[in-house]
Amino acid sequence: MRILIVEDEPKTGDYLRKGLQESGFVVDLARNGIDGLHQAREEAYDLIVLDVMLPGLDGWQVLTRLREDSEIPVLFLTARDEIADRIKGLEMGADDYLIKPFSFAELVARIRTLLRRGPMREAERLQVADLQIDVLKRRVTRAGTRITLTNKEFALLQLLVQHEGEVLSRSQIASQVWDMNFDSDTNVVDVAIRRLRAKVDEPFVPAPRLIHSVRGIGYRCEVID
Amino acid sequence: MKARTPYSLTLRLALLLASLSFVVMGLVGAALYNVLAVQLRLRDDAALVARVEQIRALLKDTNTLELIHRKPTLFANMLNNRESMLLLRYPGQPPLIEINPNHADIPAPTPVQADTPVQMSSVAHYRTASDIPVSAVTARARADGAAGEIEITAARTMLDRTRLLALYRERIFALALAGALLFALVGYFLLRRGLLPLRQLAAHADTVSIARLDGRLDGRDAPRELLPLITAFNEMLARLADGFMQLRQISADLAHDLRTPVNNLLGQTQVALGRPRSVEEYETLLASNVEELERLIRMSDNMLFLARSEHAQMAAEIQPLPIAEELARVAEYFEGPAEERQLRISVHGEGQIAADPILLRRALGNLLANAVTHADVGSEIRVLAEHGAHSVTLAVENHGATIADEHLERVFDRFYRIDAARTQSTTSNGLGLSIVRSIMQLHHGAWQAHSAAGLTRFSLVFPNPPL
Repeated sequence: MRILIVEDEPKTGDYLRKGLQESGFVVDLARNGIDGLHQAREEAYDLIVLDVMLPGLDGWQVLTRLREDSEIPVLFLTARDEIADRIKGLEMGADDYLIKPFSFAELVARIRTLLRRGPMREAERLQVADLQIDVLKRRVTRAGTRITLTNKEFALLQLLVQHEGEVLSRSQIASQVWDMNFDSDTNVVDVAIRRLRAKVDEPFVPAPRLIHSVRGIGYRCEVID
Repeated sequence: MKARTPYSLTLRLALLLASLSFVVMGLVGAALYNVLAVQLRLRDDAALVARVEQIRALLKDTNTLELIHRKPTLFANMLNNRESMLLLRYPGQPPLIEINPNHADIPAPTPVQADTPVQMSSVAHYRTASDIPVSAVTARARADGAAGEIEITAARTMLDRTRLLALYRERIFALALAGALLFALVGYFLLRRGLLPLRQLAAHADTVSIARLDGRLDGRDAPRELLPLITAFNEMLARLADGFMQLRQISADLAHDLRTPVNNLLGQTQVALGRPRSVEEYETLLASNVEELERLIRMSDNMLFLARSEHAQMAAEIQPLPIAEELARVAEYFEGPAEERQLRISVHGEGQIAADPILLRRALGNLLANAVTHADVGSEIRVLAEHGAHSVTLAVENHGATIADEHLERVFDRFYRIDAARTQSTTSNGLGLSIVRSIMQLHHGAWQAHSAAGLTRFSLVFPNPPL
């Protein structure tokens, strides 16, 4: 998957390129709007990450010119947290946006969602290693043993397994599992993960752990050999 | 719109005073004039009546008629006035005597019969062809030795009277005008003097600046009329001073609160870079940096939220929400952290509430987060809804240390922390309750905190608009 980043701030551009490369994307970086537009037209990308505040040609102009002949998904980055700004971006044809400062895990998650195109198919059965989830019957078993989970624990596990291999930030988890869309200075997510591990991982030691903390970022479901 | 020159209150009042005095003096003058005019006319009419009666009496004497025939000028002298006129004749014949020094037309009113006494009401008032006012009275008289009845007409042109009254009118007008001018002048200066306290007030207000908001207008020597203005002005100053104090405090608090995480970031990074370290140590450092940075982000998010809600850029999207569901959602969110401290969260409430769902969850979330942190281990936290006549109250109750009244008054202020030392830790930034307050302001609702006998209760009162 090829991604073009259009970002003038040197440090931001550098870490975005590095981070996305390490997340498995092929990444090009343009450091101003004119180069960015040129590159976007010349080469075939799957997605563009576009900063709004650019010298020369700003992000809105790049987006407008780009939309004249292209349907490529565009995720824009803005430091201005004004509702009018966001609406403007989406009306001009952007597909998603992130407000600076954003967590890198969040960016990767948004990019993956855009590349998947359209809502994720709700699988009826999920499986990671010897853990099986029957979404319809809301049954979870590991190594043949039935695990009883509360509704929220089930939703949390389902979310992690659906995004197997991806890091989910605490705010993403809070938003998707509890529909709480603000940072509340609490350790709700950490506590929930701890309780989930106590049911899903700990009883099955020495089988490999499935739920991992990613320090400073969030949590990930993964089988590590 | 074009800017108008502001009108002068002094000038306006002085002119008003002048006009008023002019009107009053004019009215008084007109009344006096009227009295004088009536009196003059009565006197003149009475003189005419007297003259006719006098001649009637004279005619009773036979000699009189002879005398008239012989010496008509004698009568002319008798009248002793250039304006008086007298006409004696037999009806329908040329006059026996005609005294008419001004050669005016002598009118002939209906004659009074010979035996009837002449009344004041018999005097008629005319204007001659040349527009000279004339009063006249005619009466018949029997004379000894006369061929029949004699017709006597006594008349008087009123030229001197008209002149007198005209002069009088002019005087009144001139006096009223002079009076009005005097009033205007004196009024202007008196008003200027009277309004001196206003100018002093303005001069004083002029000295108020952001740096000197503590100054107050002095109402001791001010007139009673200005006291409400001075009081209102002083109250406004007090409010502004409060607001500025608060802003200053917030900036200071914000700077102070930024310092801790920034200091941690800087310090621990510098220490780490001081010498080569293991990968684990670097990872620990970076993770800790992330924590501090997230703290900074939360703080800026919260500050932005507060700033926007206070500048009314944000509008609550109020809609009917099922209370039980909303309370349960928030309670469920905090179930984990609550159980860590062996707390039980119980939810009591039903019906509907009118609120913005996202803001409501945030407000309740902040209250419950506090309750979970401060509740006694093993106690119960109650989240409940009470329906009033015009409002719905949502409350969060927990058992824990009683909060002193002095703190309760200020817990909703920004950055206010009851125990400054304890909450310097990473969890709270002292903005949670001020966000709750802002959310309630957006809902035009109320917020209260009570704490007594180990029970602390935070309530949010949502007005209940007709849905």
